Amino acid sequence: MMRSKLSIGATAVVVLGIAAVPWIGSDVVVQFGISTLLLAVLAQSWNIIGGYCGYASFGHSTFYGLGSYGVAIAMAQWNLPFAVGMCLGAALAVIFAVLLGLPILRLKGHYFAIATLALALAMTAIVSNIPIAGQNIGLVLPPLNNDLLFYELSLALLVAATLTIFWLTKSRFGFGLIAIRENEEAAAVMGVNTTLYKVLAFALSGLFAALAGGIHAYWITFLDPDSAFDIGLNVKMIIMAVFGGPGSILGPVLGAFVLSAISEVLASEVTTVAGLFFGLVVVAAVVLMPRGLADLFRRFRVEGWRYFVNNIKSYSL
Amino acid sequence: MSLLAQVLLNGVLLGGLYAIMALGLALVWGVLNIVNLAHGAFIMLGGYLAWYLFTGLGIDPFLGLPITAVAMFALGYLVQRLLLNLIVRAPMFNTLLITFGIEVVITYVAQLAFSADFRTINPSYAGNNVSLGPVIIPEVRLMAFGAAILLTFGMWIFLLKTRLGRAIRATAQNLVAARLYGVEPRHLYATTFGIGIGLAGMAGSLYGAVSQINPYIGAALTAKCFAISIIGGLDNPLGVIVGGIVLGVIESLALLYVGATFGDVASFCVLVAVLIIRPSGLLGRTA
Amino acid sequence: MSTLLEVVNVTRRFSGLVAVNDVSFSLSEQEILGVIGPNGAGKTTLVSLISGTIPPSSGEIYFEKRPITHVQAYRRGRLGIGRTFQIMQPFPGLSVLDNVAVGALFGHGGSRKTLANARERAREQLRFVGLDNFVDRRADELGGPHRKRLELAKALAMDPKVLLCDEVMAGLNLVEIDEVIDVIRRVRERGISVLVIEHVIKAIKSLSDRLLVLHHGEKIADDKPDAVLSDERVIQAYLGRRRE
Repeated sequence: MMRSKLSIGATAVVVLGIAAVPWIGSDVVVQFGISTLLLAVLAQSWNIIGGYCGYASFGHSTFYGLGSYGVAIAMAQWNLPFAVGMCLGAALAVIFAVLLGLPILRLKGHYFAIATLALALAMTAIVSNIPIAGQNIGLVLPPLNNDLLFYELSLALLVAATLTIFWLTKSRFGFGLIAIRENEEAAAVMGVNTTLYKVLAFALSGLFAALAGGIHAYWITFLDPDSAFDIGLNVKMIIMAVFGGPGSILGPVLGAFVLSAISEVLASEVTTVAGLFFGLVVVAAVVLMPRGLADLFRRFRVEGWRYFVNNIKSYSL
Repeated sequence: MSLLAQVLLNGVLLGGLYAIMALGLALVWGVLNIVNLAHGAFIMLGGYLAWYLFTGLGIDPFLGLPITAVAMFALGYLVQRLLLNLIVRAPMFNTLLITFGIEVVITYVAQLAFSADFRTINPSYAGNNVSLGPVIIPEVRLMAFGAAILLTFGMWIFLLKTRLGRAIRATAQNLVAARLYGVEPRHLYATTFGIGIGLAGMAGSLYGAVSQINPYIGAALTAKCFAISIIGGLDNPLGVIVGGIVLGVIESLALLYVGATFGDVASFCVLVAVLIIRPSGLLGRTA
Repeated sequence: MSTLLEVVNVTRRFSGLVAVNDVSFSLSEQEILGVIGPNGAGKTTLVSLISGTIPPSSGEIYFEKRPITHVQAYRRGRLGIGRTFQIMQPFPGLSVLDNVAVGALFGHGGSRKTLANARERAREQLRFVGLDNFVDRRADELGGPHRKRLELAKALAMDPKVLLCDEVMAGLNLVEIDEVIDVIRRVRERGISVLVIEHVIKAIKSLSDRLLVLHHGEKIADDKPDAVLSDERVIQAYLGRRRE
């Protein structure tokens, strides 16, 4: 009891600390903060369907893009307020998740991964042909120069996503998802409505990704199909989600913060090198620490540098 | 009517090229159970290699195929031997993630090295056409189709008749059995992957001759290769010909009847449809 | 004793092969029905048909007088049909306790339970099958015989009215078999009907109220154990068959 009160207290302090950054840091720091917080939300959203439910989506950028376009269309084409745009983006994501989830979630493992990847690729092409979405040219949103607002919004969304994951670990629904991940057939026989649960998880996961996309669109003030459905996001969110360790509450947040920070430190050219960095991190991480950061900390104390060698030994040919 | 015939023919020609693109992926997937999300990026590299051979050394893309094949084989061999062999016994997700990462790395390196421009390989005969009644066939496409079919059959014979080919097929069943052929597993794996990438490289050369390349075509090509492999099934190398032609025809029809950018969308729809309706493909089993 | 489960003219084909052929039988309350037959006779298929894992090609299944032929597997679990798997199906990354808690949470009456309640009920079931020392171990750390008990506990946590046991005694030594027999008897005392697929004839003879014999997917006997085991056809099916 004391320990959980302590950790709630500690977490609250950390959150408040992060919230206070815009008043302490420079503009650049705040912008870095917004990007990182949104990536953390993406990682947490992936965590729901990939980490807890065991369906590793390689095309979650689809929902991010839908959220972006929801906000963009509502604000740029119909002159509606931001909140309505977010609702539109969220609605689009949930509808997509349910309609496409039903056929796709019947696929297992790498088939599911391939199908989601192909979906993400197809979205760019589809949206480039939709007039109201601005086709290839994209859309320009009404500008709002208030990084502080975007920062706190992003943080609030991250807190909401993390609390949702926390709720998952304590709820019957979350338990069902984990059962599905561990052994779907057994779960079904034991009374878990696997189809319903998977689709719900997919929709919930898509919802958070879409909200992140919506905030991002308004912040950047401009989007086009390639940037909204950026495939590179997928590799980032997956490695961030699994970096800390599979299926954990704070792991993806940790992964997002750590990897973004390192990427920022190493980057002289922003976009190009950052993307390259993540690719290299992914390759190195899969080989050296496939079980995540938590496992690394736990066993490094015992095994030292041999930890990495042991990992390679256990998985190599 | 002749327009439809033209479109169908385009689809078939495209299909041959698609077949050779997917062959490497299907081989590696069926034999090594490695789902290579970076396959399309290697095709892209093959295209650039052929482009540089052509513009820098004047080597015709078709005559230069052996060079591309050897270079890309070497690359694939090293990637498998030094990297992928280290994670072969890990869960499938690890393979997906690492090849995803490799895809990102290759794409960004290509972007840095080659810039984002579109390029085409334009040999002197690039504009020539062959007429068959009402339909017109660009000579380059016909040659690419021919090369692709030859390579696919060559691969089939290799797997069926040669000792190495049979060792590779044995590996798909059983690593111990493969050892009986006297080939060391790590070398065998690396060789197989190398062949897969060599095929991808050659496919890239052909692709560069008939279409445009830029650093970003990798991901879409990978998705198409998956669609083709799944349609054709992973048992028989000839299955990719069927898969390639099916996808080629569907894409051409989509281009004609729906719109210019709907090729990718068509691939996705086909992919999902086949996965759901018949995961074992039209011709054989899927891993 | 009223009829709890009724299987009527059920057939199941797998692309040309008839695994279960026009089988009919019933299971009453608090009854132990043994199902025996040579390998490949269709016993596991029959259980999969009842639990809903696969649909029948033809025929009907009734549970508590209501048709469940087209009811999905997860709903049958909630109605009160529990099963163990011949090839064991634990949740490998979860603790033994949580494995069983899934059953408590999603089985009969599960939707009203909290996680804490479910874990409590899971503890009871684990005590019942004798696994209370393994509560916090990971499921994939358990050895063969213990895994079988875990399967039982998982199914029992669902508060079933019918328990389908698929070869829970396979690979056990004589002492362990006796322990399992004891557990199944106590399950019946709790008011649960049990359908037991087994190969160990001696064990199932003493345990069952009735024996059902399957051969090549067909029912060839359905009677008290003594009558069945002296039936000519049954003896031929078992002893007279060529070793394949």
